Amino acid sequence: MRSLKNLVRARELPVFAAFLIVMGGTSLAVPHFFSGKVAIDLFLGVAVIAILAVGQTFVIVMRHIDLSVGSTVGFSAFLIGDAYSKGMGLGTGMFLAIGLGLLVGAMNGFLVAYLKLPSLVVTLASLYIVRGIFNEFATGQTIIESEVPPAINWLGLNRFFGIPYLFLIGFALVIIAGFVMKRSRAGRDLYAIGSNPQAAELAGIPVARRVFFAFVATGGITGLAGAVLLGRFNSANPNSGLGLELLVVAACVVGGVTIAGGAGTVYGAFIGAILLQGITLSIGALGIPQFWQQAVNGSLIIGAIALDRYLSTRVKTTTIMGSKNE
Amino acid sequence: MNKQFKRSITAVAGAFLAFTLVGCASTTEAEVTESAAAGTTETTEALKIAIMPKAINIGYFAAWDEGAQKACEELGAECDYIGPNEATGPAQVQFINQVIQKGYDILVISAADQNAIVPSLEEARAAGITIVTSDADVAAEAAGSRLVSILPSAADRIGTAEVDWIAESVGETGTIAILSAAATAANQNVWIDAMGPYLEETYPNMSWAGGSLDSAVFYGDDDPTKSTEQFNAILNQYPDIAGIIAPTTVGVLAAAAEKKAKGAAVKVTGLGLPSEMAPYIEDGTVEKVGLWNPIDLGYVAVYAGVLGFNGDFDGSVGSTFEAGDTTYTVTDGGIAFLGDPFTFTPDNIATFKEIY
Amino acid sequence: MSRFHITWDKGVGLFLVFTILLGTFSSEYFATTSNLTFIIRDVAEIAIIALAMAYLIIAGEIDLSVASMLSLSSATIGFLYRAEVPFEVAMVGGVLVGLLAGLFNGFLVTVLGLPSLAVTIATLALYRGMCWILLGNKPVNQLPSEWVNLGYSQIPGTFLPWTIIPVVVLAGLAWFVLHGTRFGRWVFAIGVNSQAAEFSGIPVRRVKLALFGFTGIMSGIAGVIYTLRFASSSPDGAVGYELGVIAAVLFGGVSIAGGIGTIWGVISAVLSLGVIRSALQLIDFSANALLVVSGSLLLISVIAPQVTDYVRNLRSTVSTTKQIQKNERVNHE
Repeated sequence: MRSLKNLVRARELPVFAAFLIVMGGTSLAVPHFFSGKVAIDLFLGVAVIAILAVGQTFVIVMRHIDLSVGSTVGFSAFLIGDAYSKGMGLGTGMFLAIGLGLLVGAMNGFLVAYLKLPSLVVTLASLYIVRGIFNEFATGQTIIESEVPPAINWLGLNRFFGIPYLFLIGFALVIIAGFVMKRSRAGRDLYAIGSNPQAAELAGIPVARRVFFAFVATGGITGLAGAVLLGRFNSANPNSGLGLELLVVAACVVGGVTIAGGAGTVYGAFIGAILLQGITLSIGALGIPQFWQQAVNGSLIIGAIALDRYLSTRVKTTTIMGSKNE
Repeated sequence: MNKQFKRSITAVAGAFLAFTLVGCASTTEAEVTESAAAGTTETTEALKIAIMPKAINIGYFAAWDEGAQKACEELGAECDYIGPNEATGPAQVQFINQVIQKGYDILVISAADQNAIVPSLEEARAAGITIVTSDADVAAEAAGSRLVSILPSAADRIGTAEVDWIAESVGETGTIAILSAAATAANQNVWIDAMGPYLEETYPNMSWAGGSLDSAVFYGDDDPTKSTEQFNAILNQYPDIAGIIAPTTVGVLAAAAEKKAKGAAVKVTGLGLPSEMAPYIEDGTVEKVGLWNPIDLGYVAVYAGVLGFNGDFDGSVGSTFEAGDTTYTVTDGGIAFLGDPFTFTPDNIATFKEIY
Repeated sequence: MSRFHITWDKGVGLFLVFTILLGTFSSEYFATTSNLTFIIRDVAEIAIIALAMAYLIIAGEIDLSVASMLSLSSATIGFLYRAEVPFEVAMVGGVLVGLLAGLFNGFLVTVLGLPSLAVTIATLALYRGMCWILLGNKPVNQLPSEWVNLGYSQIPGTFLPWTIIPVVVLAGLAWFVLHGTRFGRWVFAIGVNSQAAEFSGIPVRRVKLALFGFTGIMSGIAGVIYTLRFASSSPDGAVGYELGVIAAVLFGGVSIAGGIGTIWGVISAVLSLGVIRSALQLIDFSANALLVVSGSLLLISVIAPQVTDYVRNLRSTVSTTKQIQKNERVNHE
């Protein structure tokens, strides 16, 4: 009973409810919208952003941000295909992709954690630098389907009991990340740092180390997301991943991971991403005139952020202090 | 406050002084650059040609540049492939300025924005640079800002050809939708306008999804994510859709990939690069796509530019010029067309995918 | 010995002079009147918006929708002109639309209390979407040539483009208000500690609302200049400009944490980024290499103050130690 009450009061529920309202409403208006096909569209469409949103949660919770994810995920996706087309195996490709993500994460983390530079500036700079290097490396080339490692291709096209594997990868990641955030020392420290950095320092939390590894973890997850991006589209080019960072931040915020730090969960971010994707699908299915779609999309996101804000002053937030009943 | 005020004034004065000194000291240089570009009629000195794509990192333009470089080699000219990394007008303008600054003789350009670059092209023309647009032209009203435009095929030929291809695939019945690129892309809109009446007149059992051409067009912005989303939106809005035409290489690739991923029954065709579409043609996902050869577009454009610069060709309607072994004629609006698009099918895809 | 306190905003002024010299010596094409015209014309819109963005960031907020507001202003001008409204009126309409959009952002942040970073990502999409609603997919060209000429030609008799006039006037105004009036001091106070500012009687919310409105007006004016310069109004104008504006403001020494910054630093930053881009392009740096350079400069702009701080601390520690040692020696004599 207690856990049920906790569930109902959970910060993530309203976001999930909003999602159901959007999808349900559209299904009423367009009956064939309520179908397995649309569900699959949803799962596939959200796969990359959902994974990136999980990673982004680690840094936003600490009042930081990582704007370089778009450039890094595109570069990672391209590297896997490029390695395979040059005869190297999937293993090497994944090693390169995740390695790149970890490297970018480490650079960001070092500058933010140890040199104490503002993360907005640092990751904006790495957005430019990584995109520039990526473009130069990949100029004029496209990774086509035959250059995608068969395993990734297979994962992209197949489903497990009807649910696309690409989505399941994200889902598994969310479960693991959620567990780590809630149960592990390091995870709880992230929330403490976000709530009050000075207090966290005084309480003996190794702030710099946590921040550094959070960025590294985000980077690694971004590298993994590159494989999912490649599997989703079976192609990659110098424009891959362009502009994804703003969408990822929006997904996190909509999902309750507030920019002010110290609150929100990876589950929320995941659901936030699903909500945004649901909005996009609904707008497409409702036949809203093409030229109105972006404006409607923007308005709905504003609504979602406002809703989140309203609720955060009403419902107890999921912070380290939030589990009052424990 | 006073001290800061004084310091700031000094700083402002200092920078202004620096700018003015530099500006005054170099008035002559600008004139020199301009006269060098203006009137050389001999070809003994290697011509400097700037090859400017919409964006430098796109595979399609790498092929376009290949053709341009080949022509440059044959003509003994110095060619530089320069351009922005985002396909927008303002970004291109920065590079057009560079072309003017460095005194290039000829500019071969694929217009990223049919209007935004026009003032800059006028400036380049005033500086004596010969301008040829290739692959994507400026707005019809601005045709005077360039010597000639080299385009693949007459707009209606490209549009109507694609309708023919989809008609073949769907057995000449059913509803059709269009997955386009950017809504503001001039060439896209010209082709789509040609498709509309042609389908209605030639194939009475086929119709546009939603009843009219307007409701059948979806915009994928040449972005794989958006194109994929729009493909799904088409299927969601019109579950009985028979065929989709994607007159954009990014769009047709995304549509083919998504069709395969979902196992959808809808037929797909459009303008596709053989190297990118090969897997989908070989496994039957797509029966036929077509495209002109971007290599030719670049090649012919350079020839037009050089001949124009040397005064052997003036770009007027009805005039002709030769590039390679072919003679090209300029038609209304100052445009020279290459010819009908090639079609790629399982029979010939193996050869073409190696070329571009 | 006087301590010349190098903060980054003075550093960037020196950097500007340095880049001009560098450009002059690295390429024969750089130091020409035509090139200077190109540079100034290129940076005009970014400079104008950066002025307002500086105020916002100093006050602890941010606005990512500026590029969409610029484009919305331009789209409004095209829409009105196409509807046979006189062009001059259309231009005013564009600026007004910018103001309204800015005020809406301000409303969302100050009245509804939404975080500016997140909500302006959403209004970025909203305003861009409104551009599409206004123009559909038909850009407007064939604007009156007397106005279009102002967008890219020079003031007769000089090498300066007409667009430098609004930049100088607005920069002067912005500089005066920020550094010379009570309002400007309020902006800094809010950025340093908005709660303390509130307690000392500063109407924080109204000031922030005004700043967002100011950003909207500047975006609107930039939209007018953009429309004239490119002789057209299109729904997809200025995509991505917001990152360039923010990068320039940060490079100009405005701290993202709020409370620090100067107008002079921002203008120097905008100019030097334009100068560097031009100089590097003229020595054949590719567009991709330019991206890497921009990112690196941004990093340097935040690392450099850390380094100078560190050096200064080191020097003061050293000199204090020396002083102590000298005192000991004196005491022992």
